[in-house]
Amino acid sequence: MDLLTGLFSTAFLAGGVLALAALGEVLAERVGVVNLGAEGLMAMGAITAIATVTATPYPMLGFIAALAVGALFGAVFAAATVWLRANQVLCGLALTLMGTGLASTIGRSYSGMPARAVFERIEIPLLSQLPILGKALFSQNILVYLIYIILPLALHYLLFKTRHGLNLRAVGENPAAADAAGIPVNAIRFAYVTAGSALAAGAGAYLTLAFVPSWSDGVVAGRGWIAVALVIFAGYRPIPAALSGLLFGLITALGFVGQARGWPVAPAFLSMLPYLGTIALIIVPVLAWQRMRRIMAAPAALGEPYFRDVR
Amino acid sequence: MVAGLRLQRLPSAHPGIALAARGAAIFLALLLASIVLEITGAAPLELGAQVISATFGSTYGIEDLCLLLIPLLMTGLAVAVGQQIGAWNIGAEGQFYAGAFSATAIGLFVPGPTIVILPLMFIAGAAGGVIWILVPTLARAYAGVNELITTLLLNFVAALMVYYVSTGPWRDRVGMSNSATPRVKAEIPEFWGLVHWGLPLGVLMAIGFALVLSYSKWGYEVRLSGSNPSAAKYAGIPVRRHIITVMLLSGMVAGIAGMFEIAGTVHRLQGGISNNFGYLGIMVAVLARNSCIGVIFSAALMALILNAGIILQTQGLTTSAVLAITGLILFLTAIGDELAHYRITRIKI
Repeated sequence: MDLLTGLFSTAFLAGGVLALAALGEVLAERVGVVNLGAEGLMAMGAITAIATVTATPYPMLGFIAALAVGALFGAVFAAATVWLRANQVLCGLALTLMGTGLASTIGRSYSGMPARAVFERIEIPLLSQLPILGKALFSQNILVYLIYIILPLALHYLLFKTRHGLNLRAVGENPAAADAAGIPVNAIRFAYVTAGSALAAGAGAYLTLAFVPSWSDGVVAGRGWIAVALVIFAGYRPIPAALSGLLFGLITALGFVGQARGWPVAPAFLSMLPYLGTIALIIVPVLAWQRMRRIMAAPAALGEPYFRDVR
Repeated sequence: MVAGLRLQRLPSAHPGIALAARGAAIFLALLLASIVLEITGAAPLELGAQVISATFGSTYGIEDLCLLLIPLLMTGLAVAVGQQIGAWNIGAEGQFYAGAFSATAIGLFVPGPTIVILPLMFIAGAAGGVIWILVPTLARAYAGVNELITTLLLNFVAALMVYYVSTGPWRDRVGMSNSATPRVKAEIPEFWGLVHWGLPLGVLMAIGFALVLSYSKWGYEVRLSGSNPSAAKYAGIPVRRHIITVMLLSGMVAGIAGMFEIAGTVHRLQGGISNNFGYLGIMVAVLARNSCIGVIFSAALMALILNAGIILQTQGLTTSAVLAITGLILFLTAIGDELAHYRITRIKI
């Protein structure tokens, strides 16, 4: 494999984690809930997946188990923030602490072992023969297609081409108006926050079953937070969210190539790139394109609980 | 609901009820953790008794507790100070690392008597914390970029940096350890047993912040800018300047915490030196409802919980279990805070 193919192949693989988690976060934020628990959900998904494939040899079962655990934690978070209207920032941070702590506690007996079963690469006939992109995109594990093609397109269609999507965006922009129009605000919020949390945990499963693939303490390493930042960068849209995940996969891949080729930079500095890159990406656009602000704006009611009686 | 009674939401929670909600949250979280322990085959009551006897049964136990209290007090204060103006400094962890890093740099490479080196380390630690929060601060003040994510992401950068120097260029080439720097010679003197002067200094800092915020014009302007930025701006208060000052002060306090940890407690820079103190500091500030005086008490409580986790390590519990329990307390506190807004009123039918 030549350099460019290798670079993009790793970029697609590495970026999948961020892309999937960012897609989940898009769902939650579009209905007006900031879910800062993504980091903890990913940790829980990651350890659930490892524990599942240690018991049974089916990676897909591990992925589904992670989705289920994510939905469970997400439902608890959503119940607190949507129905009880507790502070979203505090609940999110709490979810991150709980998920990270719990996953590390459970993970001690799985630490360092490679995953028993992983998502294998599948070569798609014909398409995988294309130059560069063929090897890079079309000979990946099955989740990569889900994350970069099926899910973003499906979510884009759902959000922007259906009546239901219009309703759920209304819930995020102006819950009072949505409520007056007969849209069940809290039910929609609950459902999409839960679904988004499931995807975040799924991203954790992808991490330990397709990308790394093993569990070690701190394996999530801030990817949940990067995903939250990517959603801002992507302007709360699914297709750009998946693409910005890819962009970060590229930065990660660059670090790997650097290490493999023995660039005279310590690996620790290469590992800093995604974090520094994220910070740059959420600061620079705001400074550079003032006009973009309206298009990229967050849902108007983001972070605000909805009280029907206090208006 | 019973006829004639209805729930009414008040615009702000009654402080007494909010405090009670915190107590209930801590109790419930510990109860849940005990139930989990019971199910997994441990005996929570025995473990609890063991923790209490190990902590309060000897002066060593209390000294250990105080050594944990110092960093928690400082990082909690850092978060609480930021909250005065509505800024979420989730990066106390990173600023702690940066403070420890710069203090160690002075301690290792600048020769001189302790009386000169210690103040220099203090200044370096404070500066390290300030530098670490500088970019998030400017981004928040001038571009409106949410400081929550930017401060947090820098935690990972700081951790990587400290890991790199303590296992690489600065590592101890003489001792057995490959993952820490040599011992920093300048040490903060002890004032009681193993407990160094960082404790009274930290308490003084908390009281100082509380006084300035409550009784000075600056403090009033800061609190007003925090609770209602647009009203403050309309009243001619330089909100942006206050945001910058307060956030930098917040980073400074966390940096000093890192310096204290190096010069007072650990004496070597190593990966993981921050021990989650930055994240636990969020918890400390939330439990104190962002009161600088309250931070002293909630830090003591967190120190107790963290210490319990450390004592129970021999029983198979880990600090990550403590982190999970802390998260649970935070979660229940957040719910309790909202519920504290409600009161039941009687209505005439």
